[in-house]
Amino acid sequence: MLSPRELEHGFTTALLRGTDAAVVAEILGDGLDPADRLAIYRNHVFTTLTEALTSTFPVVVRIVDERFFTYAADRYVREHPPAGPCLFEYGESFPEFLATFPPCRHLEYLPDVARLEWAINQAVHAEDAVALDPRWLAAVPPEEVGRLRLRLHPAMSLLDSPWPLDRIWRANQPEADPDLRVDLSAGGVRLEVRRCGDDVVFRALEPAVYALRRALADGRDLGDAAEAALAAEPDFDLAVALRDLLDETLIVDLTLFSRGEEIP
Amino acid sequence: MIALDRRAGAFPIRAGIGLRAPHVAEIVATRPAIGFFEVHPENYMGGGPALVALERVRRDHEVSLHGVGLSLGGADALDQRHLARLKALVERLRPALVSEHLAWSVGGGAYLNHLLPLQYDDERLHETCRRIVRVQEILGRPILVENPSRYLRFRHSPIPEPEFLGELVRRSGCGILLDVNNVYVSSRNFDEDPLAYLDALPPRAIREIHLAGHATNNAAGRTILIDDHGSRVAEPVWDLYGRALERFGPVPTLVEWDTNLPELAVLLGEAAHADRFLDSALRRERDAVAA
Repeated sequence: MLSPRELEHGFTTALLRGTDAAVVAEILGDGLDPADRLAIYRNHVFTTLTEALTSTFPVVVRIVDERFFTYAADRYVREHPPAGPCLFEYGESFPEFLATFPPCRHLEYLPDVARLEWAINQAVHAEDAVALDPRWLAAVPPEEVGRLRLRLHPAMSLLDSPWPLDRIWRANQPEADPDLRVDLSAGGVRLEVRRCGDDVVFRALEPAVYALRRALADGRDLGDAAEAALAAEPDFDLAVALRDLLDETLIVDLTLFSRGEEIP
Repeated sequence: MIALDRRAGAFPIRAGIGLRAPHVAEIVATRPAIGFFEVHPENYMGGGPALVALERVRRDHEVSLHGVGLSLGGADALDQRHLARLKALVERLRPALVSEHLAWSVGGGAYLNHLLPLQYDDERLHETCRRIVRVQEILGRPILVENPSRYLRFRHSPIPEPEFLGELVRRSGCGILLDVNNVYVSSRNFDEDPLAYLDALPPRAIREIHLAGHATNNAAGRTILIDDHGSRVAEPVWDLYGRALERFGPVPTLVEWDTNLPELAVLLGEAAHADRFLDSALRRERDAVAA
């Protein structure tokens, strides 16, 4: 007889990857093949997890069609089952999976579309955070400003793509004109996705603003981030960019680092 | 051990329904007269508009948290992060009831999002009990444990399910969330007597009842009932509900409906039907006290 842990791990493997003889041997048939009883549970697991992915990636579903999506989701669930109990957190690695999934390799833009949908999902469900009171930033001595690390709102994310992602996304909304065609050679975008009240919005950012926010989001200090922005656009104005971040309530915390040590 | 009084607080013995996103705006606008709303805490462990809407509903109504992700019956370690998030949500919402399932859902780090069956033996009883006690300590309150719907039996599973539940109650101080539809589904799937199941439960431990619709499937010539929460409560399940209330007295009752979600009015109609059963049970209880 299997130990409880062996039984559950074997059961899990049997659900995700196919029948496990040692597990089947523990199950009574009660008028059916025991493997058919396992299949009842397997069917539910795949149905609910595919539904979760469908609701997070509706534009991908529309682009590849439901039948193909179900096929891709089935493979993804087998290889990357959820790592936590909250379904809204399931699918973070789905864009990477699509990038390496041979049947859709010809849709080169598809993984980036999925990245945008994941960013939107993040913006819907990320934890709430209170915007920083601008007076905290104003109180930092000018000579220390370069070593500031600013924590940006967890519902905000940034992505750049060589594809016109915003146009692809809009053309694949339920209310979009079905005759609308997107020119895939129209060039790439740098997008910011964020929460705005109860809604999620995204917009294209200028190169310098994108570079600044990208660097801050990656945990680099304000001095480094400003350099990255200046490299993108020589006439970049840091004061204006900081005021915009405050006005958009995107800064939620700041820390001052000195020679790698946090100042309390 | 934490004592649980089913009459504690202002929680009414009335029917409630599951809170579903498409209905929230109508609920906030119309404030339907309903006993309570139930949600899966796993859907509210981030932030954003979903949590805002739930807190808005909470201002007007009682809420119960019905977890599906703790893997109470599992052999892998309890997920501490999940437990901490559950505790934070309990503190934030102050729900009237907190419940989970007699099931496991995590194997080797894979969260299957399903309520999977365990072997009912002394070892599982001891371990499940230990986990329930731990969860109750962390949450600082007793929880209810629900009987799952079952589609298979293990060769080795010597303790009948209602006795296993009764022993969990006795050892951990938890209550029972009796899912009457699950009793019906499991009994039909294994040619068992649902009334004998009810008779084997400790009557005073039943703190909440669930009702739901089920589907009838055919597998290799055998009829298998599936607890899909996708239709009205079936007539035989209403009958069994009536029999349960005769045994256990009036108990807060929730109508679950998750797939093929209908208009809010349909759910409210199902809850009103359950309220008629509860009214008779309350009358019976008053008459018994008067006599």
